[in-house]
Amino acid sequence: GHDQYELAATSEGGRKKKRDKKKKDMDDLKKEVDLDDHKLTLDELHRKYGTDLTRGLTSSRAAEILARDGPNALTPPPTTPEWVKFCRQLFGGFSMLLWIGAILCFLAYGIQAASEDEPANDNLYLGVVLSAVVIITGCFSYYQEAKSSRIMDSFKNLVPQQALVIRDGEKKCINAEEVVAGDLVEVKGGDRIPADLRVASAQGCKVDNSSLTGESEPQTRSPDFSNENPLETRNIAFFSTNCVEGTARGVVINTGDRTVMGRIATLASSLEVGRTPISIEIEHFIHIITGVAVFLGVSFFILSLILGYAWLEAVIFLIGIIVANVPEGLLATVTVCLTLTAKRMAKKNCLVKNLEAVETLGSTSTICSDKTGTLTQNRMTVAHMWFDNQIHEADTTENQSGTSFDRSSATWAALARIAGLCNRAVFLAEQSNVPILKRDVAGDASESALLKCIELCCGSVNDMRDKHVKIAEIPFNSTNKYQLSIHKNANSEESKHLLVMKGAPERILDRCSTIMIHGKEQPLDDEMKDAFQNAYVELGGLGERVLGFCHYFLPDDQFAEGFQFDTEEVNFPTENLCFIGLMSMIDPPRAAVLDAVGKCRSPGIKVIMVTGDHPITAKAIAKGVGIISEGNETVEDIAARLNIPINEVNPRDAKACVVHGGELKDLTPEQLDDILKHHTEIVFARTSPQQKLIIVEGCQRQGAIVAVTGDGVNDSPALKKADIGVAMGIAGSDVSKQAADMILLDDNFASIVTGVEEGRLIFDNLKKSIAYTLTSNIPEITPFLLFIIANIPLPLGTVTILCIDLGTDMVPAISLAYEAAESDIMKRQPRNPRTDKLVNERLISIAYGQIGMMQATAGFFTYFVILAENGFLPSTLLGIRVKWDDKYVNDLEDSYGQQWTYEQRKIVEYTCHTSFFASIVIVQWADLIICKTRRNSIIQQGMKNKILIFGLFEETALAAFLSYCPGMDVALRMYPLKPSWWFCAFPYSLLIFLYDEARRFILRRNPDGWVERETYY
Amino acid sequence: MSGNKDSDGGWKTFIWNSEKKELLGRTGCSWFKILLFYVIFYGCLAAVFVGTIQALLLTLSNYKPTHQDRVAPPGLSHTPCPEKAEITFNKHELETYMKYTKGMKEFLELYDETAQLDQLKYEDCGENPGGYKNRGDLESDIGVRKACRFKRSWLKDCSGLEDRTFGFKDGKPCVIVKLNRIVNFRPKPPNSNESIPEDAKAKVRPNVIPIYCTNKKEEDAGKLQEVKYFGIGDGFPLQYYPYYGKLLHPQYLQPLVAIQFTNLTMNTELRIECRIYGENIGYSEKDRYQGRFDIKITVNDS
Repeated sequence: GHDQYELAATSEGGRKKKRDKKKKDMDDLKKEVDLDDHKLTLDELHRKYGTDLTRGLTSSRAAEILARDGPNALTPPPTTPEWVKFCRQLFGGFSMLLWIGAILCFLAYGIQAASEDEPANDNLYLGVVLSAVVIITGCFSYYQEAKSSRIMDSFKNLVPQQALVIRDGEKKCINAEEVVAGDLVEVKGGDRIPADLRVASAQGCKVDNSSLTGESEPQTRSPDFSNENPLETRNIAFFSTNCVEGTARGVVINTGDRTVMGRIATLASSLEVGRTPISIEIEHFIHIITGVAVFLGVSFFILSLILGYAWLEAVIFLIGIIVANVPEGLLATVTVCLTLTAKRMAKKNCLVKNLEAVETLGSTSTICSDKTGTLTQNRMTVAHMWFDNQIHEADTTENQSGTSFDRSSATWAALARIAGLCNRAVFLAEQSNVPILKRDVAGDASESALLKCIELCCGSVNDMRDKHVKIAEIPFNSTNKYQLSIHKNANSEESKHLLVMKGAPERILDRCSTIMIHGKEQPLDDEMKDAFQNAYVELGGLGERVLGFCHYFLPDDQFAEGFQFDTEEVNFPTENLCFIGLMSMIDPPRAAVLDAVGKCRSPGIKVIMVTGDHPITAKAIAKGVGIISEGNETVEDIAARLNIPINEVNPRDAKACVVHGGELKDLTPEQLDDILKHHTEIVFARTSPQQKLIIVEGCQRQGAIVAVTGDGVNDSPALKKADIGVAMGIAGSDVSKQAADMILLDDNFASIVTGVEEGRLIFDNLKKSIAYTLTSNIPEITPFLLFIIANIPLPLGTVTILCIDLGTDMVPAISLAYEAAESDIMKRQPRNPRTDKLVNERLISIAYGQIGMMQATAGFFTYFVILAENGFLPSTLLGIRVKWDDKYVNDLEDSYGQQWTYEQRKIVEYTCHTSFFASIVIVQWADLIICKTRRNSIIQQGMKNKILIFGLFEETALAAFLSYCPGMDVALRMYPLKPSWWFCAFPYSLLIFLYDEARRFILRRNPDGWVERETYY
Repeated sequence: MSGNKDSDGGWKTFIWNSEKKELLGRTGCSWFKILLFYVIFYGCLAAVFVGTIQALLLTLSNYKPTHQDRVAPPGLSHTPCPEKAEITFNKHELETYMKYTKGMKEFLELYDETAQLDQLKYEDCGENPGGYKNRGDLESDIGVRKACRFKRSWLKDCSGLEDRTFGFKDGKPCVIVKLNRIVNFRPKPPNSNESIPEDAKAKVRPNVIPIYCTNKKEEDAGKLQEVKYFGIGDGFPLQYYPYYGKLLHPQYLQPLVAIQFTNLTMNTELRIECRIYGENIGYSEKDRYQGRFDIKITVNDS
């Protein structure tokens, strides 16, 4: 919107250039982060930024750079002014048509007021009502839109307030916005990183990059250049991530929008969000209705002029036709239906932020799911153990419902002891009532997993630790790759000191000379080593993090009680230990996910995993949750099975596919399309935020409606670009929640299935609701047409039309949103947005051509009954209109020779309007009941929808109220009906019901027959 | 109106797709089937409609409409009845009142005595007000009933027989008033004088529905002066009632009252209201022709 306003001012050429530039910017943003600062040595860095690594920048230099680069803050996205948004609501959709109607009303009233002494107020009244309808609907929609989020707000919150910089050799605390590239910055645990930093020196610094990369574990930061990829190298700390512990000093390399986070933010906010499928459908439908309205209006306007009506009369006809054609209440009904579904979904843990997204999930044909936290429990858990030369499976389910392994082996006792003792993780206090798996733990993920595993299997780890007091400890470091501790051993059968060690399995094995099998120490021979190797590879192949465990009883003669263990000098043996076993950990899939993925796939929804994690882990989880189904192989698997090189495998043979982010970077869009087209089961691993976006766009190019789930800032561009972004409620970052259209409150992928189900249901039900509402358009339009052509007294007035559209039709139309599904909607293919429209010609054919016509006949029948019973037989009515509507003919003769004054016959006419209205209500009963189902019989479907039954009574009561309430004759020109007139439409109501039951019977009998092709909407 | 425009090459192919031989997205056979369906469908629907209308007509009486609550109490209509009920003319200029007198002449032709000669159809009901003339039940099989004669000459100065301009040329315009016909309706004369204005009380007499005209606005008081009433008993005599409807009473002549304003203030717009009084005569705030009417008369003399 904002762009258009800007662009409108520039010339054609300028516009093109600007668009090109914008496109280039976007492409630029989509590219990978292009940083080389991490490769530079500190000297080069010093040269590049002119920063003295001890004294920092000079204040004057900093001021210069600040002036050049601008403040270190994210630019908020251009926003559309509120009034423009409001106007868009006020003049969009049917509003234009209704505004035209209202203006014509005022115009007609103006002409009447100018030419007559006592102008009828009808047109003024109608104009006001029409304007009010438009304004109220506009405000309603505006309110709905205003609730939708603003993505940049949460980015703003990420900007740190203060930063500690070193300038002119002095430490200064300055506003983070004033930090400039080249500044020397110090951060400590608990700080937010003020800008992208190249770490120059660090002491035990760890940062939490989860909001950027999705990796939940804190990562070490040091001056070492450890990886080509700037996102993975140790020596760069990113803007707006958190420093968890330690301190670091670094040189600012980028500020504001140029930071990695800034680029993602800009990318997310500059993405053009495609319109939701439902809004496309609604627009399509508005086009149809507007087309019909304009066509009928204009042709009858011309026709009435040809027939010799005055201009004013022709204008009034035009108003009538427009009012009759536009289903005034429909858009509000649609909004209410969507709101109701949104509420229902919120109860099932799907919080919908953008109303229209309710349906999108139902149309979804591809789901790109993040792994961590969505498919998995986001909790490292011990999955397997290898001891006694055998792999044991641990229970990884959330509720411990799985099978357990044999715990009787003495080896297991030893393994458990090591895992419990050589472990720095502790449960946080006061959690004795919390299930073990849910307890909060201080310590890293693997140790927590071990702690919980041991606590579950062997009881309190604290007691164990109390019995075995820790004497000395060597913590884990990246050169040793092991962790070691020495404990007092209370067990008198063993030596007094116990050395326990855990670490990278191959390193541990190297330090061992024996292995424990069934509680007995045996020499570690090559056979055992092979067995170890096989187990290690197998567990690694499952994508699990494997740790090795060993212990050693320090001989009492060398290490008597009170021996001083020195961890610096290592005055105790760390070789020739006794290998006990392996334990492997994984973030296990959630229990419900396998089932949910299956439920998604059976109706043809493609589930793609897109993760920042390693391919092996990703593939293991993908297999675990059924994203790669059993028996399906990747190209690599086939190659391995057939023992041939990968390039000899026909890629078409492999349905599954694991794509590494590194490969993805070099793929052309065509190649990506190829992958997406020819593989049904795809896993993308090690993907960057930009790549996630590219994947989503690739899927959209295939014509798919894409849902993306994610939780980190890194997911936010993809979430925004997706047709529906689904963020995680618990683990999700604020930014991802802002970018998403829907939030899963329980972070559970299975909730998406609920969403899909509800979305599909609401699409079906909206069809029904629209079919119901549109049907009554025909009995609303035909009176006008016959009035003009056949010159009969007007059978239905504009006010009564509004009473139907905005009164009696509303509740029943909304009640259809509560209708239960007709069949298992999760067995259907996702709808094809190109061919399966919300409103198609078959719906129009049924609603307008068949049911609507029957309703119109019912209305006309009632109309003729009333006129005939009052003395005007149908034969006298043709052509009577001119005299009928002449105020100064006060002796108009009826079929019995009686003479009527103008007012007397007008009252009869208004009574006709009322009864025509009542007839529509009565035939709409039948219409409501037939609209409940599109294929089934009402007998199969039942009348369980209580709201619908309420709707039937409500519309009837409202009709009776409008007819009988005193004062309605003045207010709405509605008159009391004689009881018998209510029954005139009954036969037609029955006819409609029977006709449609018959139609649906044939439809069910002859699937794909002519009836289905022509009438199944 | 389908989405073909972006998929297969725009509107032209949509209108005529030569490849698939499709006109507007359908083949000839498909068009034939759907049109045949709709022809049959609408044929049946029309048959049902005609059937229900026939059923409706069976329930109706030939002689009397089912409901008369909307047409009664009767309206009071007048001739001439020009646009906006305004009679404006110059008594010296024929063209200014021709349109009024022409309408009156046409209306009164029905009442020509030569048209009422048939003894089988007409009978004399007396020149003085009498009671209701009962001609049997509506539903009985007596057939067509006789009508009371109403002689044009009874309207005297306003009959248009002597003065073909109905007094317009003298600035003394006539207005002919009739009580709207209602089948089987018996207007009842007022039985108490309470609701009748003082001046009109003189006109109350038995067997007549009295009519009385006066100025509508207070400030016009005195400008109206003399009003003459012609007709039987200066009102609507009861022997003309009840009316038996078009079928049984084709020759029925409703009684007329002619009102002549003989001494109107010239060059002034006067609003005159005429009312009839009776027990079952009602007025409605909205309906200015129910039991009353008002008319604006401006006579110019220059």
